[in-house]
Amino acid sequence: MAPGYKHVRVRDYLRALVAQELAVGEAVPSERELCDRFGVSRMTVRQAIDALVHEGLLVREQGRGTFVAPARIDMELRLVNFGDDMRRRGLVPGGAVVHAETVEATWDVAEALELSAGDAVHHVQRVRTADGHPMAVEETWIPVGLLPHMLDQGPEHAPDSIYAALREAGHDPDWGEDTVGASEASKTEADLLDLGAARTVLRITRRTFAEQVAVAFSRSCYRADRYTLWVPLSAPSPVVTPRASAGATV
Amino acid sequence: MPPNPPDQAQRILDALGGVDNIVEIEPCTTRLRSEVKDAKIVDQTALRAAGAHGVVVSGRVVQVVIGPSVDTLASDLADLM
Repeated sequence: MAPGYKHVRVRDYLRALVAQELAVGEAVPSERELCDRFGVSRMTVRQAIDALVHEGLLVREQGRGTFVAPARIDMELRLVNFGDDMRRRGLVPGGAVVHAETVEATWDVAEALELSAGDAVHHVQRVRTADGHPMAVEETWIPVGLLPHMLDQGPEHAPDSIYAALREAGHDPDWGEDTVGASEASKTEADLLDLGAARTVLRITRRTFAEQVAVAFSRSCYRADRYTLWVPLSAPSPVVTPRASAGATV
Repeated sequence: MPPNPPDQAQRILDALGGVDNIVEIEPCTTRLRSEVKDAKIVDQTALRAAGAHGVVVSGRVVQVVIGPSVDTLASDLADLM
């Protein structure tokens, strides 16, 4: 085997160990043990561990060792509310409203909600937690006309589930579109998410509809070290082509 | 799911530049993904007026945000083409 691949063998061994034998929070073998087992230098072992730390599979704790990182939540992008999703996974959902008020829609929010800039929208920003750990920061805008009294009781009484509130008001969310990107968290987001050095977040922008009505627009950022996206794939639907095109000459 | 407006398929086809401008159209969960010969003659305002919730143009691919009714819309389009 080429010398350049030694760290790959160590890395793959550790990856299998994490997948099959070790639980979250358990220590991986020490650098010395790995050196002996594979007959490689400490530098090679570090290279392998670094790669997995970078991937988020392992966490290094200064002076203590290297441990299996908490499992990421494999999230399917669906029209479900955060609380229900977490409960189904056996996690206790929580959250705090950071900010909630009725504002004038900026042009981008207006466009997403098919309103005019300046129209009144409710704006709610909250931190979502699972088992007490911050997981996501979520900002949502809702046309005031759909839920006129949503913030009447004050920001702290903003509904836990905006989808449930919409449903009760007869605007049952039934489809939407998500756009997903990745970037660094801002300082404010990093503070809200309690992020350390690793600041990568998944950014999900969502438009939610009830039939033909745009009912909510949201921008969320999820900790990239705690989430992976799970996307069901299927073969494309049959395409429609102009009938004449087969014989057409141009 | 309420039925599509009766003339929606025709209006969308017209806004895409008519049958002659279409290479192919594929219903894609919430979007109509169409490949056109000339993206410049696609009328985005008319697409919006015909019920599109968004239009994304990338080269000759024009994606029209419709919602889950896109499947029935695609079969209506097939009848017109």
